[in-house]
Amino acid sequence: MAQVQITFQNDTFDNKALKLIAFAGQLDETNIDSEAKKIYQVIQEMPEPNIILDFAELEYMNSKSIGYLTDWYSKIMAKNGKIIIAHPRANIMDILKVVGITQIIHVVDSIDAAKAELSEVKTKA
Amino acid sequence: MGETNTILSADFKPQVDANHPEEQSVLNKSQVSKDTSVRISIILPTNAYFMAGIRDFTMTVVKNMTGFSEQWAFRFQSVVDELTNNAIEFGSAPGQDIKITFVSTQNKSIEVYVEDTGTGPNKKTAADMSAFLAKNKGVNPASITTIRGRGLSQIVSSWTDFVEFKDNEKGGLTVHVIKNIVQGES
Repeated sequence: MAQVQITFQNDTFDNKALKLIAFAGQLDETNIDSEAKKIYQVIQEMPEPNIILDFAELEYMNSKSIGYLTDWYSKIMAKNGKIIIAHPRANIMDILKVVGITQIIHVVDSIDAAKAELSEVKTKA
Repeated sequence: MGETNTILSADFKPQVDANHPEEQSVLNKSQVSKDTSVRISIILPTNAYFMAGIRDFTMTVVKNMTGFSEQWAFRFQSVVDELTNNAIEFGSAPGQDIKITFVSTQNKSIEVYVEDTGTGPNKKTAADMSAFLAKNKGVNPASITTIRGRGLSQIVSSWTDFVEFKDNEKGGLTVHVIKNIVQGES
């Protein structure tokens, strides 16, 4: 069975609440349905969900976990929030590209870059 | 072209001491010549619990027995994972088996067959799956808004050169995919 650990950290940018969510391990059919609920809970609890998904230690994700990613994106957008993916490994970036996620969710190479991206997007908005 | 056949059970965990003389002998015998295909079949219960092990095994086969790059080994991990998950979800009932067969030809190709027994609650025929793939292959991936529906139409079809569905003699479905090594791509 695949193992994954998801950790949550509160942060801020531009005086707004930000949640850093770090994934370590593998997301697959055995764990994604239960783990996804934790992300939905964060989205539900934040009035304006601004979320950085730290994929630095994420080793594998299957198509269903990518499907959840698009659903989180939709729910965050519906609450005028923002979601950024930070620091994915090469194989994760590869699969995000092939399923078109990089067309809808910004992907950057570090947490700092993600925070800068959030500020930039908010300024533009 | 020679072929070797190996069947591993799902919980098979080889313990190899490469320094042991007898292991050396076995390892030497297992060396694969460039023009030889190696066929390895794994039979596993209808349970996603085993998928992490199958992904590890796929990585080993593709990296060490084909000549594909690490990038393609990761890609084929996903291909096998998606096909097997489909077999678990649609093809074989709990308590039944799924058979995964790898055919690797050094510096030429990797082929995978995933066979289910057609006993699952959402059985699909070869015609069903061919029609699904024809309809969804090439769709702009960003336009897919559902949680499911990316495995076969996006991942498998993008990272293989050939996809074929056949109704098998067990009453189930066999999916056959091939990826050829292309100079400069591997």
